[in-house]
Amino acid sequence: MKIENTKAQMRKGVLEFCILSVLKDEDAYVAEILSTLKDAKLLVVEGTIYPLLTRLKNAGLLNYRWEESTSGPPRKYYGLTETGKLFLKELDTTWSELHHAVTIVTSQKPPKK
Amino acid sequence: MNKTVNINLAGIFFHIDEDAYLKLQRYLEAIKRSFTDSQGRSEIIADIEARIAELFNERVQMDRQVIRVKEVDEVISIMGQPEDYLVDDEIFEDEPQPTPRRKKSNARKLFRDTNNSYIGGVSSGLAHYLGIDAIWIRLVWVLLFFGFGTGILLYILLWVLVPEAKTTAEKIMMTGEPVNISNIEKKIKDGFENVSETVTDVAKNVSDSVSNATKNIDFEKQGSRIKSSSRSFFEAIGDIIMFFFKVIAKFIGVLLIFIGAAALIALIIGLFSVGVANFVHIPGLDLVDIVNAGETPIWFVSLLTLFAVGIPFFFLFYLGLKILVNNLKSIGNVAKFTLLGLWIISVIGLIVIGIRQASEHAFDETYVEKTELPITAIDTLSIKMVGNDNLSSSFYRDHSDFKLAHDDEGNKIIYSSDIDIRVKSTTDSVITVAIEKSADGRDYQKARARAKNIDYNFELRNNVLLLDSYFTTDPKNKFSDQEVDVVLYIPENMIINFKKNTESYIYYRNYDGNLIRRQHVNYNLKILDNDLECLDCPIEENEDMEIEINMPNVKINENGIEVRSEENHLKIDESGIKAESDEVKLNIDKNGIHINTED
Repeated sequence: MKIENTKAQMRKGVLEFCILSVLKDEDAYVAEILSTLKDAKLLVVEGTIYPLLTRLKNAGLLNYRWEESTSGPPRKYYGLTETGKLFLKELDTTWSELHHAVTIVTSQKPPKK
Repeated sequence: MNKTVNINLAGIFFHIDEDAYLKLQRYLEAIKRSFTDSQGRSEIIADIEARIAELFNERVQMDRQVIRVKEVDEVISIMGQPEDYLVDDEIFEDEPQPTPRRKKSNARKLFRDTNNSYIGGVSSGLAHYLGIDAIWIRLVWVLLFFGFGTGILLYILLWVLVPEAKTTAEKIMMTGEPVNISNIEKKIKDGFENVSETVTDVAKNVSDSVSNATKNIDFEKQGSRIKSSSRSFFEAIGDIIMFFFKVIAKFIGVLLIFIGAAALIALIIGLFSVGVANFVHIPGLDLVDIVNAGETPIWFVSLLTLFAVGIPFFFLFYLGLKILVNNLKSIGNVAKFTLLGLWIISVIGLIVIGIRQASEHAFDETYVEKTELPITAIDTLSIKMVGNDNLSSSFYRDHSDFKLAHDDEGNKIIYSSDIDIRVKSTTDSVITVAIEKSADGRDYQKARARAKNIDYNFELRNNVLLLDSYFTTDPKNKFSDQEVDVVLYIPENMIINFKKNTESYIYYRNYDGNLIRRQHVNYNLKILDNDLECLDCPIEENEDMEIEINMPNVKINENGIEVRSEENHLKIDESGIKAESDEVKLNIDKNGIHINTED
């Protein structure tokens, strides 16, 4: 069991949730989603996000529209679909429950270092 | 100074240094290999290229600025290594998803595992691919190695063609989930579930849209929903079909590899052994050399045959491998065209050699030796075949029987029993034996020389003509349709006798003045003017002839003869002769003759 794998799995698990959350209020294109996630130090490299976005889009949680850009190639603006919004809502609840549970467990029994 | 390349990345134009370009290309290739088509590879790659274009755009201040390795490195460090793109499907697989469309897990790919390699990592790569321990693969290699070293060839082919697993991503891909029955079953099941779920989706959508239509709600949106649902329905069917196609394709691939490899191995073993054996003159293989009248070096013919037959099979093998292993390295256009050229040259070469070989039989020449036999017409001449214990002891003519043998001194010779014997009448007083030797050749001189080189002997001993039942010739004359005709010119009124063992050598047709038949064997034959008379041939008679005539008036059978008419009666049987008429009765039997009259 490698620590990197566990870390990566933890991060990847919440990544979908975070991407959906970024798009909760307004549509965004990849670079904007990336900068938000990178600022939060959730993402180290950008590569990870592309397959995830395609996956979410194929799953019907996201859709996108093309928008011309003044400085560069046309941009894909992603937004949540109706199912995406429902999905996010559910994940939100799950996350707060999980967060709560994890907080209780970790405060009782701190992880060994 | 650096060469630059112009590239179009997501519709944006960039100048890029050649080395930077190569690096970028490698990077994109590696990413491409991280995904399968079912994950939407082309879309992901397009997105990534767009992002890279954006990042480059930020770094290019001036219009004419060139992108260097430094910029590419920066972008790669931002985007991450190929393995970072890998989505670990296992994590998501168990998550409940709102749609039935689920990602297929990565298909396992064949790489060379250089981490666990002895030579090129082919064995361990195959082991990962097949999901078995590498030791078994290596064992097979060893066995194949002892099996004429074919393993080496196959190993080198795989070594060249299968790419090495370099990145972590490729190493992960190398060890996919094992291909077993339960997985295949699972995949099929998934496919059917998809279909059934999609069917209910479509049905639901249709009913939704119908009820919505009454409420005057946006038709277009509903229409698109139906469209997308039905599309996914057909996609699901397509997936199932594709799955079966893939299974069939893999099967065909395995078949092609098998056929290609088997043919190549057989060809190489066969031709290599013939070619090399001929080159170093291993005894026993001279036969090939003798048939080859064109005098083209055998190793050369072998090589041409290898190319002419082997190259198509190599492509078959390669095709099979390509079907089976989707990340196979291309052998490159140069190699392809070289092989194609080599193939064409080989085929042309073989045709030329074939024509040369055929032209060796263009001329058929006969060389005649005549000898007069010191024998007077009074004697009876017997004709007998004599064999040679070293060559053939049977007296049977076989016109296709060319063999390589050793003569009494141990020299190699070709021998054959293609001998015909004919008999003609002559008005001379002496017997003349004409030995007509014939052979094929490329030109008149060669054919004649070969005919002359045929060695054939006969001998007269005590009024018996002893003919050899074979002829021989030096192997350097090759098999060139040599044959010997023995023509005996016999003076008229002479008596000859062909002994039994000449039977199969006697020319069987009556043409060209030939008098003798095979059925004349063992009888005394008197030669006439262009004819012959058999002196002691059995007269044609049928000893066992049985005639039975059964008519009202005449009866002939084993008992005797009986003739009846209205007034007369004649009977001949073992008891005697009876003749009766109205007035007279005649009886001849052991008692004597009785004649009775009515009066």
